[in-house]
Amino acid sequence: MTVGVAPPVSIDAGAPPRRRARRRQTLAGLAFLSPALVLFIVFIAGPFAFAIFLSFHSWDLLTPREYVGLENFRQLFSDPLLPKAMLNTFLFALASVVTHVFGALLLALAVNRPMNRFVSYFTRSAVFFPYLLSWAAVALLWKYVLDPSFGLVAYYLDKIGIDAPNWFVDPSWSLPAIIGIDFWYTIGFTFVIMLAGLQTVPAELVEAARTDGANRWQVFWHVTVPMMSPVLFFAVIITFIGAFQIFDPIQIITKGGPDDATMTIVMYLYQTGFQAFQIGYASAIAILVFVVIMAVTGLQFLVARKWVYER
Amino acid sequence: MSLRVDVDANDLLRPRERRRRRRRPGAIAFDVVVLVIGLLMAAPLVWLFAASATEPGEAFTLPPKWWPTPFSTENYSRALDLVPFGRMALNSVIVAVISVGGSLLVAVLAAYAFSRLSFTGRDKILVLMLSALMVPAQLTIIPVFVLMRNLNLVDTLTSLWLPALINVFAIFFLRQYFNSIPRELDEAARIDGAGHLWILFRMLVPLSGPALSALAILGFQASWNNYFGPLIFISSPEKMTLPLGLVTLQSGQGGAPAAVVFAAIAMVVAPVLALFLAFQRNFVASVATAGLRG
Repeated sequence: MTVGVAPPVSIDAGAPPRRRARRRQTLAGLAFLSPALVLFIVFIAGPFAFAIFLSFHSWDLLTPREYVGLENFRQLFSDPLLPKAMLNTFLFALASVVTHVFGALLLALAVNRPMNRFVSYFTRSAVFFPYLLSWAAVALLWKYVLDPSFGLVAYYLDKIGIDAPNWFVDPSWSLPAIIGIDFWYTIGFTFVIMLAGLQTVPAELVEAARTDGANRWQVFWHVTVPMMSPVLFFAVIITFIGAFQIFDPIQIITKGGPDDATMTIVMYLYQTGFQAFQIGYASAIAILVFVVIMAVTGLQFLVARKWVYER
Repeated sequence: MSLRVDVDANDLLRPRERRRRRRRPGAIAFDVVVLVIGLLMAAPLVWLFAASATEPGEAFTLPPKWWPTPFSTENYSRALDLVPFGRMALNSVIVAVISVGGSLLVAVLAAYAFSRLSFTGRDKILVLMLSALMVPAQLTIIPVFVLMRNLNLVDTLTSLWLPALINVFAIFFLRQYFNSIPRELDEAARIDGAGHLWILFRMLVPLSGPALSALAILGFQASWNNYFGPLIFISSPEKMTLPLGLVTLQSGQGGAPAAVVFAAIAMVVAPVLALFLAFQRNFVASVATAGLRG
């Protein structure tokens, strides 16, 4: 994610440059910055460099490291599980972006109009609250909610005449189940972002369009959506980056199964690195994750020029 | 991403003022649809609390329980017997408090340097730090694990909070906030003989209440819910935090009965629900402001 950095504003601008004062500021600056800088080097920059280093090695944490050149990457691209894991991850991320952005926008529009106060308040809270929980609690709860013998979903689907699938046994229903759980869990975040975004649509503009004879649908497409496009873009980027790294519910519920139907790239990384202890190979996977996220995000920024309205 | 959106985030969950007037039947039907969506979202949690407080044998009978009859706290007492729940809750609190307090202290100091002091390389360092926001946690966790192993810190609470002390997003967020505070205030304080520490902790920090509380809420939430870190660093039950403890209860040693797991989940969810109901506006505001301004 790129962040706009404001031009530096020097507090002694205008004053004649005095060496001693300047040196004192440098010392103070380093002193204030040093805790962050040390932690940054030890826990972010250093590990980043070390991960690249490790990806050229073969290592199981116990025997000495061995330099293998590009072997890990060669192995990565002939690994039969990788295309499957990539496909699952992209499918999950795509489904996640589409359901979150549209779902949250519709929900935000639905509650952002004059309506019964209790209903509005209750639904807003019920939609937002799950976002505050942990994946551990949510994944375990939903494992039971989707249980084919005593779960809520199977019981009520049966009432309306639908035979519920055995979600985590049937390979074609496992990933959709995870997508659904993730929607319930994180829609609250996107929803709040959309509610805040709706507040940025100027009421005068909507009034003006209505006076000119636009109907609700036209107002939505030609006023609301363009005015909200920076917020929509933000939601797309954030949801994609988060979804691409999906791991917790898969580790807790399916472990990548059945039949690798929910094997995602980070789940694969975890199994390679922390269960098989192929540290070098896992580092290569991690670098792949990083490169893909950068590439897709970069692509989205390029495409954004076409549809995001900049005020 | 920089997004200049000014919202009154405090009001996001509060319904809009309604003009008193007759409403069309269509509008009422729409309200019903919205209510049903809310009920569907809430249903799993209602079921969680109802079933977990029902007698173990009756908890999962069909139709599903929406009210705990016959009422029993046995699932809760069995969950407490099976895992050191109090210890895990304490671990979660310790890790969250040190992570949040420590990372905010580090961030406040760094933000002051980035906002108020000028020295060579300052903006280059800031850009370098910000580019780290793009690095996914999975990339750094392997080397950090190796580091913790060499420091003999694996399976300690330290391994959970120590890497959390650096929060680049918080540094940037506070730097932006400090930049919005007029520099004339510093000048005035300096003329009165105040030093950097005084200006920072007696003036800027007290003026940054909203930014700090938003960061504290988000940081606490991230730490409290963290599963990936503990999964990799922690193995003994008495060192586990609540999320890992929950999963271990369900999967470890054949696994506890579903009703007991439900009671444990309910014990994890209930405090969050209570805090949410008490401080709802703060939660929503911090998500909206930090989300959009981030």
